[in-house]
Amino acid sequence: MKLKILFALFVAIFCNGYLHAQSTDKILFHPTFGKSALHLDDSCYTKDSIYFSQLKLYISGVEFLNKDSIVWKEANSYHLLDASDEKSLYILVNSPSDLKFTKIKFNLGIDSITNVSGAMGGDLDPTKGMYWTWQSGYINLKLEGKSKLCKTRNNEFQFHLGGYQNADNALQTIILNVSENKNIDILIDIEKMLAAIDLSEQNQIMSPGKEAVLLSEKFSKIFSIQKQ
Amino acid sequence: MSNKSIIIVLIGLFIASFSIKNEYIFIVPKNWPKPHYDFTKNILSENKIELGRKLFYDPILSRDNKISCASCHSQFTAFTHVDHALSHGIEDKIGTRNSPALMNLAWHKSFMWDGAINHLDMQALAPMSNPLEMDNKIGRVVASLQQTILYPKLYQIAFGDSIITGEHTLKAISQFMLTLISANSKYDSVMRKQIEFTVQEKNGFELFQKHCGSCHKQPLFTNLEFENDGLPVEKTLNDYGRMNITKDAKDSLLFKVPTLRNIEFSYPYMHDGRFKKLSEVMNHYASGIQQSKTLSKQLQKKIVLTSNEKADIIAFLLTLSDKEFLFNPKYGFRN
Repeated sequence: MKLKILFALFVAIFCNGYLHAQSTDKILFHPTFGKSALHLDDSCYTKDSIYFSQLKLYISGVEFLNKDSIVWKEANSYHLLDASDEKSLYILVNSPSDLKFTKIKFNLGIDSITNVSGAMGGDLDPTKGMYWTWQSGYINLKLEGKSKLCKTRNNEFQFHLGGYQNADNALQTIILNVSENKNIDILIDIEKMLAAIDLSEQNQIMSPGKEAVLLSEKFSKIFSIQKQ
Repeated sequence: MSNKSIIIVLIGLFIASFSIKNEYIFIVPKNWPKPHYDFTKNILSENKIELGRKLFYDPILSRDNKISCASCHSQFTAFTHVDHALSHGIEDKIGTRNSPALMNLAWHKSFMWDGAINHLDMQALAPMSNPLEMDNKIGRVVASLQQTILYPKLYQIAFGDSIITGEHTLKAISQFMLTLISANSKYDSVMRKQIEFTVQEKNGFELFQKHCGSCHKQPLFTNLEFENDGLPVEKTLNDYGRMNITKDAKDSLLFKVPTLRNIEFSYPYMHDGRFKKLSEVMNHYASGIQQSKTLSKQLQKKIVLTSNEKADIIAFLLTLSDKEFLFNPKYGFRN
């Protein structure tokens, strides 16, 4: 009996050691508003008194590049980030420990093939609230809140960005340079986004089209690697 | 043979018989094209189809627990809304379109009159969420199904998981809809050379092929495309069809070509149900076409039909009724 326990312990330690031989880097996403962390609901930012009530977005197709060649690709790579759920804000990576890479590449949104492939599970399940019901397609990104600048009901702004067909394809590819770190910390700075648009003019986008594509392009530019 | 091996063989047979019973083989009717639906991503089984049928007939899908899919898609009218031009949903709210008949959906690549939905799996989301139909949310539907005694068991049997998800719910409903195949009308028997048309039906069939057949293409009786059928805009609805989705002026007044199978039972007709009788539809195509930039190519040249010819075409259309489909208990409500 004792031998059996010893053997089990040995296996456990061995397996543990084996798992550690693989790097389990994390990609951590940090939604921010300028230099401070992004809070939903309670906090108010800047002189325009902006509140945020929701930030959700899809990250997909995560790859590591060494210079320009792909050295690692995440399988089944679809992640729904929700600023109100800390567990959703990191991606565990099982790449080989000796992997050399200089860039990380990922998509903001869901690719067109997945958009036409029927019902999916996990983060892609329509119960996650990121799928349009009146017209098929994933919502790549939701940002909602209030601002005095918006002359709308309750000063609300709502951006539901998506679209996968032809010119309306809102998917954005983001490539960032990384230094060799155990974890990759990526900032998503919403202040930069709001600086790039005029909330008094643009505050309700909830269907695919030109506006959604232009805004998605602006969103793709607010991702950056956190300097150590 | 020892007792032990007999028992093993018996267990093997039991498992085999169970898995055979659960397997569902989708049969493509003879001379039909290959279905569009990708069955490899949603492998059919009797248990999943049965779960889908149960969901189709269950008002639990609606916010107030009163409207089921079958409320607007009843079997004896070829799965459309009996006698309603515009379908009504929750709290008797009236929608903006005539609910389409459901059959042979495995061949369709888009759904709804304007093609808003790109995959059969995602179709059920639309009525479920529409405030004039079921006014619910898939997340709420899944939560209420989970709280029942019955459904977690049925999902366990069908998917091997009693935790109910949106994916499994939509796939089960798809499976049931995929089995709704209508391919056994008099027309089909004539094509299989089992019986013959009457003289009038035969004449109607020839006229049909000449004037209607390119959009209402055999054997599905739709080309699955979007066309402007020359109907004037209904001023109370201002429905521009496909353009609402694509925002492209080229798509103004285009609607998906509906199947004509079981048309005898799927009245009223057209996207807004404006015609109650097939004779009104005939009159529209012969003398009611409104010219516009997007008018279907096939309708640009006037269709000339005598009243006898119209009657002949209608006689042919009635051969598209498939009683086996309309009254098959497999597709109906059961407790």
